[in-house]
Amino acid sequence: MRARVHGDRGWGIARVVFLALLTLFTLLPMVWMLLTSMKTQFAASQYPPEWWPRNVTFEQYFILLSPANETGREFLRYMFNSLWVSFATTVLSVMVAVPAAYAFSRFRFPGRNLLFYSVLLRNMFPAVVFLMPLFILMRWLHLVNTELSLILTYLTFGLPLSIWLLKGFYDNIPAQLEQAARIDGATRFQAFIQIVMPLSSPGIIATAIYSFILAWNEYVYALTFLNDKSKLTLPVGLQRFFTEYTTNWPGLMAASFITSVPVVVLFLVLQKYFVRALTEGAVKA
Amino acid sequence: MSVSTAAREPNVFARIVRHRADYLYIAPALGVMLLVIGYPIYDTIYLSFFNTPPSLAMADKIFVGTDNYVRILTSEAFLDVTINTLIWTAFSTFFAFALGLGAALALDRQFVGRGLLRGILLIPYVISAVAAAYIWRWLYHSDFGVIGALAVASGITDRPINFLDNVDTSLPSLIVVNVWKEFSFAMIMMLAGLQTVPEQLHRAAQVDGAGVFQRFWHITMPHLKGVTLVTVLLLLVANLNSFTIPWIMTAGGPAGSSDIWITAIYQLAFERIRFGVASAYSVILFVVMMSMGYFYVRALTGKDEATPG
Amino acid sequence: MAEVRLVDIVKNYGAFTAVDHVSLTIADGEFVALVGPSGCGKTTSLNLVAGLIEQTAGDIFIGDRRVNGLDPKDRDIAMVFQNYALYPNKTVFKNLAFPLKMRKLPRADIDRKVRAAAKVLDIEHLLERRPRELSGGQQQRVALGRALVRDPRAFLMDEPLSNLDAKLRGQMRAELKRFHQDLHATVIYVTHDQLEAVTMADRMAVMNGGKLQQYDTPARVFSNPVNIFVAGFVGSPAMNLLYGLMEGANRVGRDGWAVELSAENAGRAARATGREVVLGARHSTIALHREHVAGAVPGRVYTVEPTGDVTFVHVRVAQTIVVVSVAPSVMLAIDDPVWLGFDQNKLHLFDGTTGDAL
Ligand SMILES: Nc1ncnc2c1ncn2[C@@H]1O[C@H](COP(=O)(O)OP(=O)(O)O)[C@@H](O)[C@H]1O
Ligand SMILES: [Mg+2]
Repeated sequence: MRARVHGDRGWGIARVVFLALLTLFTLLPMVWMLLTSMKTQFAASQYPPEWWPRNVTFEQYFILLSPANETGREFLRYMFNSLWVSFATTVLSVMVAVPAAYAFSRFRFPGRNLLFYSVLLRNMFPAVVFLMPLFILMRWLHLVNTELSLILTYLTFGLPLSIWLLKGFYDNIPAQLEQAARIDGATRFQAFIQIVMPLSSPGIIATAIYSFILAWNEYVYALTFLNDKSKLTLPVGLQRFFTEYTTNWPGLMAASFITSVPVVVLFLVLQKYFVRALTEGAVKA
Repeated sequence: MSVSTAAREPNVFARIVRHRADYLYIAPALGVMLLVIGYPIYDTIYLSFFNTPPSLAMADKIFVGTDNYVRILTSEAFLDVTINTLIWTAFSTFFAFALGLGAALALDRQFVGRGLLRGILLIPYVISAVAAAYIWRWLYHSDFGVIGALAVASGITDRPINFLDNVDTSLPSLIVVNVWKEFSFAMIMMLAGLQTVPEQLHRAAQVDGAGVFQRFWHITMPHLKGVTLVTVLLLLVANLNSFTIPWIMTAGGPAGSSDIWITAIYQLAFERIRFGVASAYSVILFVVMMSMGYFYVRALTGKDEATPG
Repeated sequence: MAEVRLVDIVKNYGAFTAVDHVSLTIADGEFVALVGPSGCGKTTSLNLVAGLIEQTAGDIFIGDRRVNGLDPKDRDIAMVFQNYALYPNKTVFKNLAFPLKMRKLPRADIDRKVRAAAKVLDIEHLLERRPRELSGGQQQRVALGRALVRDPRAFLMDEPLSNLDAKLRGQMRAELKRFHQDLHATVIYVTHDQLEAVTMADRMAVMNGGKLQQYDTPARVFSNPVNIFVAGFVGSPAMNLLYGLMEGANRVGRDGWAVELSAENAGRAARATGREVVLGARHSTIALHREHVAGAVPGRVYTVEPTGDVTFVHVRVAQTIVVVSVAPSVMLAIDDPVWLGFDQNKLHLFDGTTGDAL
C-alpha cells in the first residue's frame, strides 16, 4: 500500500467512475437476489418487475430454516452435509499439507523438485477429466454415495496450493530456530509443534479457509458421486430445489443467499489470509 | 535430514536410501494425489481405447483401438464445440483479465474504504458457482428477468430478450456471468503484482516528465510481466475447465450453441454413459492442458531461477 | 562444566568433505576459539558437537560420555547462534524459560532462574517484550541469557557478535570474557574474525578447508604460525609474505629484490624441499629507511594509512606490497623511494612448496 504519485485529474475521475460501475456490476445481481428472496412468489412473477418489494416477507427463509416442514428439514440436512464435508476436508488438508510443505521446504531428498512440481500440476487438470475414472474407482471402493468420496477428492483440489503456500512460510522460518529449540531440549517434533507451527499459523489459516471455501462450493463431483437424497451437499441440493419447485424463484434466491452467507462471512473476516492464499505463488519475486 | 543444498552424490539410489525418512512427510500428500490423480490419468487413457457398456460393467468393455479418437475428431459436432470452447475461453479470459487489471490499477492507492471495496468486488469469486448460475438465470429470465425488463424500460428493445434460449445470445450471456464471477481473481493477482513495483521508479519517472500512461507502459507493465503470465494461464485453465455455470444455465443448449468441451464430455459420460468416447475426449483436452501446464510451471520456476534460494 | 573432545572427526556432504579428520580437546573451563575463513567448516564442526548433524566418522566426547548419535537435547549443551535464533512469537521471558520448560522444571524454579539470568545480563526490564522490539545488542543478551539459564556442560557460540556494530562488539567481547572467567565455563567460540579469537580465547584452533591447521594459545599462534595460511590469517594487518627463490646458500630473492639471510636463517632455509622459500615479516619488525642502507630492500611508497597512534605505510617491492608501521610523525609522500630492513631474528621462513614453517 502506498501513496501513489498524483496523476492527472482526468485519470482520477475516470478511476472513480470505473470503480463505481464495476461495483454496480458486482453488486446489482446480488442485490436482486436479496430483493427477490423477500418477495412473494406472486410478486416475483410480474412483468414489468416489482423493482422494490411492496410486501417484504421472510417467508422463504422461515421455510428453509425451520425443521418443522419437509423443505426445511431437507435444506438443513444439505447444509449440515456441506458443513461436515467442508470441515473434514479442511482438517485433513491441513494435516496432510503441513508435513509435506515442511519436507519440501527443509529437506533435500532426490526427486524433490519433480514431486513438488507434479503436485502443483494438479491445478492444471480439469475436474471433469477425472470424473469418470474416479467414479469407477469410487464404485470399486464402494464409496459412491458417501461423504468420504467427496472429502478424498476435495482434499486433492486444495492440496497443491496449500503445499505451495505453506512451503513459502517454512522457507521464511530460519532453520536455526528449530536447531535452537532442539538444543534447548526439544525433540524434533516438539521443535516443530512449539516453534515452527505457531510461526506458520497465518499460512495454516489461509490454507484452511481456501480448502473450506473450495469444498463448500464444489458442484460437479457432488453431483456425480451422490444420488442419495439425504447425502447431498448444498450446491447440488439447490439444483433439486430448482427442479422440484420450478416456479419458486424467491425460494431459490433465498436458498442461494443462505448458501453464500457462510463463505462470504468467512472470506470477509479473513480476507487478507484468503487473498494471500490466492496470490502467494504468483507474485513471489 | 539434511539442511541446505546437498552435493551431488554419484549414486541416486544411495541418496534415496539416505533420505528415506524425508519421504514419510510427503507420503500422505503423495498417496492421496496418486490415488486421486495418478490412477485416474492412467485409467482415462486406458479407457479411451475401449467401447464401454452403459451398465459400466467394465469386464464387458471392448477394445476398439483409436476408433474413439477418430470418431471425435471427424465428427461435425466436435468442430462446433471446439469453436464454442475457444470463444468461451478467449473472451472470458480477455474480459476477466482486462476488468481485473483495470480494477487493480484503480485500487492501487490508499483511500478510505479500499479494503471494503476490494472485499465487495471479491464476493462473486468466493460464492458458489451454483448460486451465481441461479442468480443470473433469474436475471436473464425470459419473462420476469430484470435485465430484459431494464432493456425494455430504457427503450433498447420493445420485448424482453430471451437471453439463454437463443442460439445467438446464449454463449455471450454465459460469458458475462463467467466474467462477473472471476474478474476479481485477476484483480487481486494484479493488485499483488502492483505491490512489487518500486515507488521510487514512479517518482523518478514523474520527475523526468512521464505522463500517467507513459509511466504505466514503461514502469508498471514490465514489472507485471510474470504475474500477468501466471494470471492469464490460470484464467485460461479455469475457463477451459468451467462446468458449473454453463451446465446449470444452459447445459450446452439451445441446439448446442453453448456446448463446450467440458459439458460435452459430461454429457457423453453421464447422460449417454459412453465412458470410452468421453475418455478419449478427455485425453484430447488433457493434452491441451498439459502443454499449458508446461508453461505454467515454466512461468513459476523461471522466477526461481532468477532469484535462487 | 565438562571437557569436550573431538577424535578424528570427518563430515562428508556427498563427495564433499566439510570437516576433514579434525581432532581437538577443549579442557574443562577452557575458552577455545575456532577460527578460519568463511566456509572452512567451523559451523559444521560446532553443529557436530551440538548433535544437530551426525559425523561421517570419528567420536565426540562431552565429559566422559561418548555422545555419538545422541540427540541435541540429550547432550546438555547450550548454543548461541549468529542471528540469535530467538523465538519471535515468545516474549523474552518465555524465550529464557523455554529450555527450562523443556526440562520440566517446576514453575517457581523457572521463574527464579530466568530472573537471575536476566539480572546478570541486565535485561530484567525487557522480559515482557518480544524479540523484534529489541535492539541488536539486547537480542544478543537474550540469546546469551537463554544459554545461561541452565548449567550446560559446554557453551557453543557461532559467531555471536558478527551482527553487532563495531563499538558494541568491542563491549560484548569484554563481557563474554568476563562471563567465561566468572563461570569457569567450557566455551567453543566460532568466529571468522581472528581479532575476537586473539582477544578472548585461551587457545585458538585455526581451520582451513575442513582441516585443523594449528591449535595453540593466541600468543604462540601469532609468534609461531605453523604454515603460510596461519601466518597470513592471524594478525592485522596480516603478516607480509615475500615469495622468493634461494639464490645461493644464504640469499633469497626474486625479480628486483633480495634479502641476505643470517647464518641461522640460512640453515632453516636449507631444509626447504625445493628452491622456493617464503619470507614472512610482521609490519612492526621491518625498519623503514629513507636512504640506502646495506642489506635493505629498495621499494617505493604506494599509500600511507595514518590510524592515529600508528601509521601504516604500504611499500611496493617489485610485484608485492609490504606493509610497514611507523610513528605518526614520519612524513612520507607517494612514490618516495624507501629501503626496508628485515629483522633476521623475527623473520619467518616457509617452505614455498609445502607452505609449512621452516
Ligand atoms: N547441508 C550441507 N550440504 C552440503 N554442503 C554443506 C552443507 N552444510 C555446509 N556445507 C558446506 O560445508 C562447508 C563448510 O560450511 P560451514 O561449516 O558452514 O562453514 P563456516 O566455516 O563458514 O561456518 C561449506 O563449503 C558449505 O558449503
Ligand atoms: Mg558459519
